[in-house]
Amino acid sequence: MRESRSGIAKFAGEDALFLALINTAIDGIMVIDEQAILQVYSPACERLFGYKPDEVLGRNVDMLMPEPYHSQHDAYLERYKSTGVPHIIGIGREVVGRRKDGSTFPMYLSVGEGTLNKHRIFVGIVSDISETRARDKHIRELQGELLHVTRMTAMGEMTSALAHELNQPLTAMLNYTSAARHMAGSFGEPGVKLLDVLNRAIDQAERAGLIIRRLRNFIEKREPNRAPEDINKAVEDAVELGMAGHRDTGVKLHLNLQRPLRTALVDKVQIQQILVNLIRNAVEAMSKSDKRDLTIATRQSGDEIEIAISDTGTGLPEEIVSRLFHPFVTTKEHGMGMGLSICRTIAEAHGGKLSLDSNTKKGATFVLRLRTPPDAEVDA
Amino acid sequence: MTIGGTIYVVDDDPDVRDSLQILLEFSGFDVKTFDSALKFLATDIRQLNGCLVADIRMPDMDGLQLQDEIVRRNIGLPVIVITGHGDIPLAVRAMRAGAIDFLEKPFREEALLESIRRGLEHRKDHRSDPSGDIAARMATLTEREREVLKLVVDGNTSKEIARTLDISPRTVDIHRGHVMEKMQAAKLADLIRMAISMRALLER
Repeated sequence: MRESRSGIAKFAGEDALFLALINTAIDGIMVIDEQAILQVYSPACERLFGYKPDEVLGRNVDMLMPEPYHSQHDAYLERYKSTGVPHIIGIGREVVGRRKDGSTFPMYLSVGEGTLNKHRIFVGIVSDISETRARDKHIRELQGELLHVTRMTAMGEMTSALAHELNQPLTAMLNYTSAARHMAGSFGEPGVKLLDVLNRAIDQAERAGLIIRRLRNFIEKREPNRAPEDINKAVEDAVELGMAGHRDTGVKLHLNLQRPLRTALVDKVQIQQILVNLIRNAVEAMSKSDKRDLTIATRQSGDEIEIAISDTGTGLPEEIVSRLFHPFVTTKEHGMGMGLSICRTIAEAHGGKLSLDSNTKKGATFVLRLRTPPDAEVDA
Repeated sequence: MTIGGTIYVVDDDPDVRDSLQILLEFSGFDVKTFDSALKFLATDIRQLNGCLVADIRMPDMDGLQLQDEIVRRNIGLPVIVITGHGDIPLAVRAMRAGAIDFLEKPFREEALLESIRRGLEHRKDHRSDPSGDIAARMATLTEREREVLKLVVDGNTSKEIARTLDISPRTVDIHRGHVMEKMQAAKLADLIRMAISMRALLER
């Protein structure tokens, strides 16, 4: 019944295996002739496009494409037939499909060419990639936000470090100049002029101090975007980001998320920045290990949420542990050593803590602790 | 201005240390400098008389811990902490722990000498009890101003206070201004000093 409706019988005759294949394939399978007229339209295609077979069979396949492909498809086919240069045939690529209701969706289309009963046919296999696309987009957005926050945080850190560093010489400068003022008093007439000049120098040093203060206030003005957040959700997003590009490293991921957890008042992107850093570090730490287990656990502990990230790497060298969270400390060949320092700054700005809770030759565990007010809503 | 007495300077920056020494010697003080709190504590401090000027941010032991240690060892030495701009909450904590003043880097000679004078007169201050006066000033504060004052003394920034009270930072600054005025505080350190002595009143 269905096979005749799909137009398959005409092509396959009574081949039961072929029918089963077409009817059960998850990806849509369609066949067109040289004039782009649809000859086969599998049940999966029905699900993808929303058209019933009798609405499409015998009609031009371009009805399944949005503009500009809809108008140009015949020309594409013509070009191929006259030049023999394939653009999609034998290759496959991402294209856009059009559903019966007019909506469009990204799909992967591969096209093969064959001959049947001395006629040229084209076989197209399509799969809906909206989910993959949405996921990619989500990851790209998260990465974008993260990059922005990382830049802002790094800028804030550097400004703050710079302000501190500049204040030291400025203080010394002011002190020395003030001391010189005392000496000027013993110089008589020329001393009066000298005193005036020194006072001006002091004013300028003070002005520099004021500029630094303003700069610092400016940097601190950016309001963190805090809201009650579901920490488990933040962890899941961070895992997605942190593992992006590391899926093939053979790392086994274990998520032990306690539910329900209280919500925590945090800037979600900043917390994810910490988690992504820790996850990436953990994955890197295991690059030379046989056992590669990454375990991320959340739990409520009194008025704190604990997020523990454990790896089965070789642990951190003892000599580095005491300075681990200082700026410019790194075990990485090409690292700046700002990662953990920034992470700790963020954690502390949230009234939380970031620490290395266990460190052995068989792995390390970092724990991020976030305060949760006792009356915070319970996240179901 | 010559006041006399020994000033102990603890700062890990050699240039800040050196410049303070030269400046304070011109003002007639004996000056002894130390590059760390631990080295200062290693001297025979039972005999000390004068005033301690300590940077708040130092490796090993910071100015706050030094202040705590001075209280713990019952050394009657007045402490002035000097801070970079970012450390006001730390400075407030130091004052609550007993430091008599804090100075923000960079500071003018006049401000430094004023703090030192206050430090050296600290014991005399201790005898007179100014709380009655301060209490009268504090009684003129509105409920909101009182809240703001309490949060300031707890070491919160205007932004944090704004968040806690759910008002704009600008409004917090206006309240702060009123509080300073009513309390007759010339600078933040004055306000904190008064409020700490009146803590009980604030927490009513």
